[in-house]
Amino acid sequence: MNRYFYYNVFLGSMLNLMLYVPHILIKYRYNGAISSMLVAVAIGTGLAYLFTTVTQAFPGKGLPEILYIFFPRAIVIPILLFLAAMWYVASAIAIIAYAVLINRFFNPDTSAIIVLGLLTLVCIYGATRSTLSVMFMMEMGLIINTPLILFILMKSVRSENISWDAIRTIANYWNQMPQLTPIAAASYIFTGYINFSIYNRLTPPNFRLKFRWMIPVFCTVIMLISFFVPIGFHGTETVVHYIYLWSVTSDSLIMNYGFIERVIFVFLILYLNLTLIYTTSGWHQAIEMIKSCFPSNKPDVDQREIPWINWAIATLFAIVSLLYLHFFDEKESFKLASAWLVLRLFAEAGTVFLLFGMTLRYRRKSSL
Amino acid sequence: MRQNKLIQLAIVLPILLATLSGCGFKDIDKRFFVVAAGIDRPVNNPNRYLVTLKLAVPSPKIEPGSAKAQVESVEASTIAEAVRLIKSRVDKELDFGHCKLYLLGDRLSSQYYPDAMDWISRRRDIQNVAYIAIGRPDAKTVIEMNPPTERFPGNTLFLQLGKDGTESAYIVPVFSFDFIRKAQERGIDPVLPIMNKEKEEYVISKLALLNKNKTVATLSPNETEIYNQISHHMKKSTVTATINGQSLVLAVNKISSRYRIVKEANGSHILKMKIYISGIFEEAPLGVYSSNWSKLEQKFNEHYEAEANHLLTKIQQAEVDPFGFGLRYRATHAGSDQTWKAWLSIYPQLKFEIKANIKIDGTGISD
Repeated sequence: MNRYFYYNVFLGSMLNLMLYVPHILIKYRYNGAISSMLVAVAIGTGLAYLFTTVTQAFPGKGLPEILYIFFPRAIVIPILLFLAAMWYVASAIAIIAYAVLINRFFNPDTSAIIVLGLLTLVCIYGATRSTLSVMFMMEMGLIINTPLILFILMKSVRSENISWDAIRTIANYWNQMPQLTPIAAASYIFTGYINFSIYNRLTPPNFRLKFRWMIPVFCTVIMLISFFVPIGFHGTETVVHYIYLWSVTSDSLIMNYGFIERVIFVFLILYLNLTLIYTTSGWHQAIEMIKSCFPSNKPDVDQREIPWINWAIATLFAIVSLLYLHFFDEKESFKLASAWLVLRLFAEAGTVFLLFGMTLRYRRKSSL
Repeated sequence: MRQNKLIQLAIVLPILLATLSGCGFKDIDKRFFVVAAGIDRPVNNPNRYLVTLKLAVPSPKIEPGSAKAQVESVEASTIAEAVRLIKSRVDKELDFGHCKLYLLGDRLSSQYYPDAMDWISRRRDIQNVAYIAIGRPDAKTVIEMNPPTERFPGNTLFLQLGKDGTESAYIVPVFSFDFIRKAQERGIDPVLPIMNKEKEEYVISKLALLNKNKTVATLSPNETEIYNQISHHMKKSTVTATINGQSLVLAVNKISSRYRIVKEANGSHILKMKIYISGIFEEAPLGVYSSNWSKLEQKFNEHYEAEANHLLTKIQQAEVDPFGFGLRYRATHAGSDQTWKAWLSIYPQLKFEIKANIKIDGTGISD
């Protein structure tokens, strides 16, 4: 069961590229990005430890069920709807960014709306499956994609064109004061654990999570790579000009004797898979949160029949994403992503502290 | 249950239908692949651009000399407009996705290059790993030429510039992302190889030094080799020395270099560079095997130190920094704007202290 938890952590941290996290950090490279990243390591790890303590206290129960133990329905429903919106927005930002990316780098002649329409069809299908199926999908997707992604990351770090002087120059700016936006952006990399709010339903009784130290170690490595490698490839000044920073960085790599010379195409396909998995998982959780608002809802992690409400909510999600892409441009998407990242930090910290506090009280009560 | 399936089908089918209207994808036989692009300033009209594109024409044969290419060149007030005008002259869609070389005309690069660079960095279909070079006398002349032994269009260019084909100490290939980062970086300036057309060949043996706006100096083939050795640790190179009027040439086996910028007691700065080279004789008079090697090495050291010192001074006088000494200074000093300002006043006064350490591994033949 342990590995299912870490799949979420890995997926969340590797997907930071799709939520403009490197670009936001790079914007603050002279004004506190480094110290903010250090703060984010502490915040992210701390929240992860607290949250996993809570979920371990309630094996087999998702976040909605835990909330219902503590609070009356009238309080839980707004919280659930808010959290559902947070999950939906994150996945929507990623999938919309990806549709735009395909439009930019793969096929400029195809409208991004059509691409997004096709992508959302896949996500609608995936997100309506049962919780267990989504978890298996994530496992398969990650096992297929992660080795190649790590290969590309290693290739980029070991490239002879990377300028270590530029990286050291930026690292010298460690003494600037940390700032909120870069902290929010960097702590996103650590946020994969929060997906266990729904997937905790899958855990067996007496479940104990092992290897929690892997969260800070793995996520810090990913964070450093996604921040510093683009600086090494594009210098301390030019790097800020690229919004789709990692697409441009992967295009700066070549595999002379690979079956395809330009790494960017491999990279884009890998991130297509990751984004689809991430969006599927995000939408699935949002659907489960919304469903939990109904008193009649009985969470079933492995149901045979897909209830119609799954389809309805997923279709609504897809339509909202399409409308969003139609009405807003690249710049507004980026602003939304930055705002969402900051809101997420507070929402997440609030949720985790609330749950942790209530769990302590609950334990004290039940031990009495 | 059955009804449910029907409803699902009724929803999914129309959505799929909507995508059948096509996605604007053009087949490969309706595309013209640009293999090289040149950007010039016309002689009589220095404010306009002359864009030259080499379009690959697929040929059923792959044999020396069978490469066919169509060259289109159009003058316009902007690069984008020129490309659009070329589109109106050809029958297939232009595709820059396989374009591996962008040539800047000599006139353009010695006037003002950032506009052309901007076009290259903004267009999404342009590879970040395309080569950039300067074309002499202009980009059009170089691009129009068809090497007689080329097997398929543009192949000579890629092989000559890249590491797959020839590897020469006089060729310093520059990728577009590398050029773009250096063109804006504080502490390192770009270099570009110069492509000359001579008879039916491309000659790439010189290096242009650029500041943030234009070309400011040109390195001779010899200086280019030393630049390549110090900066890229180019192994397929040589070092020479003259002893008693006879030339000795050492083919490099191993090469490494490192440098530090040191502050002296009196406040001035010295760049201390150490270069380690070891190699085998490729040209030497008979008798070197039995002579005293350490004396020969000493001669090589002196010769190399003098040449490198000359190169660094020349670069310093041109007020550019292609080695990235400034970036190294920023990397090793406190992160603040003062560091950069300090470097700007240090560099013109910087002294160089070069220690070459050349080791003879063998003589090729004994006497």
